[in-house]
Amino acid sequence: MILEIENLCVDLGEFKLNGVSLKADRGDYIVIIGPTGSGKSIVLETVAGFYKPIRGKIRLEGRDITFLPIEKRNVSIVYQDRALFPHMSVFENIAYGLKKKERNSSIVREEVRKIAKILGISHLLHRKPDTLSGGEQQRVAIARALVVKPKLLLMDEPFSALDVKTRENLRKLVKKAVKKYDTTVLHVTHDFEDVFSLANEVAVMKDGEIVQTGRPEEIFSRPLNDFVADFVDGD
Amino acid sequence: MGYAMARFHFPGKSVIKSLMDLPIAFPELVLGLCLLLLFGQTPVGKAMEEAGIRVVFTKLGIVVAQIFTALPYAARILYSTFESVNPRYELVSRSLGYGEFESFKNVTIPLARNGLFASTVITFARSMGAFGAVLILAGGSYMNTKTLPITLYLNISYGNIGVAITSGIVLVVLAFLAILVFEKVEGGL
Repeated sequence: MILEIENLCVDLGEFKLNGVSLKADRGDYIVIIGPTGSGKSIVLETVAGFYKPIRGKIRLEGRDITFLPIEKRNVSIVYQDRALFPHMSVFENIAYGLKKKERNSSIVREEVRKIAKILGISHLLHRKPDTLSGGEQQRVAIARALVVKPKLLLMDEPFSALDVKTRENLRKLVKKAVKKYDTTVLHVTHDFEDVFSLANEVAVMKDGEIVQTGRPEEIFSRPLNDFVADFVDGD
Repeated sequence: MGYAMARFHFPGKSVIKSLMDLPIAFPELVLGLCLLLLFGQTPVGKAMEEAGIRVVFTKLGIVVAQIFTALPYAARILYSTFESVNPRYELVSRSLGYGEFESFKNVTIPLARNGLFASTVITFARSMGAFGAVLILAGGSYMNTKTLPITLYLNISYGNIGVAITSGIVLVVLAFLAILVFEKVEGGL
């Protein structure tokens, strides 16, 4: 088991996570779905270390990381808005995290080229993020997150702001890249296409709780309650 | 201060923010009087004087008065600047292995450089023009604690209109140069 989230409770005043539990094996691609405001992103950001839980445990490869500083977790995150560093080139963005771990600049260059090739952004390395399209920016953000070989990759609605064709292409690229880097993924989305194309496990959230987990076909064909049935039927 | 106010939430934040802004609303002469009392009559002033740090009627007094006059402007600009930098950049930087300070240095500072430069220029210009507080705290004594605005004021009193006008022109030219440099650098950033 690479990731174990146990009874995670987070109190943000106006919103609470109530005893979220989730498990992932190495290489799992878990997609979290649920209505807006159900707490999907809070789960990701708590695993990343941005929020401190009031109860519960997060274990990564058996190690308790619940209160570990963000930078010591080896967990990367990709946002819908990409959050690429605008003052750095694409190459510098991708190399940023790698430079912290690897002093040898030729290895850094090599690793950046490798991930850029997988994600089809080799020709963009000298450009600044603001000159790229949304799809290109998202590929850079994914490259930046994956190149540091994280134990866990968190993706918060990474394809939401993109057109249908770009989303399709990105799904294929992400699938290939995560497989190549043997990364476990927690992916938050509203798009059921992400579930069908990428997930081997799905978690459905409602009001700060996980109400059902299972394989995609299980969730869609055997919903545990009316809420899940309505939710997976209503898209 | 600007960074802390922009990034962290804590009880009494709005009170501290108001206190920070207070010198902006104060007439400069009142600010000078407060500083004179603080560094002269209170235990703070007496303790500093015993430690060999004399503020009242010294060159250090000029610096202190200028800091108190200009700092609220700098803090206000820096607060807006840091607030406009999405905190997500720092969080992403930290998730990539960098600590809080490294993320601040590598990501937030470069993204805030326009605001940092603006606050430097504004602080410089405001310090140059500080008059009332400097006059009261530092005294404006000849060849010791006389700044340009004080020179201007004293020369008007003596009837030396030529020197007063010259001081005024120097102040205007310095302010103009500061703004010009700011515009140039900002355009190049």
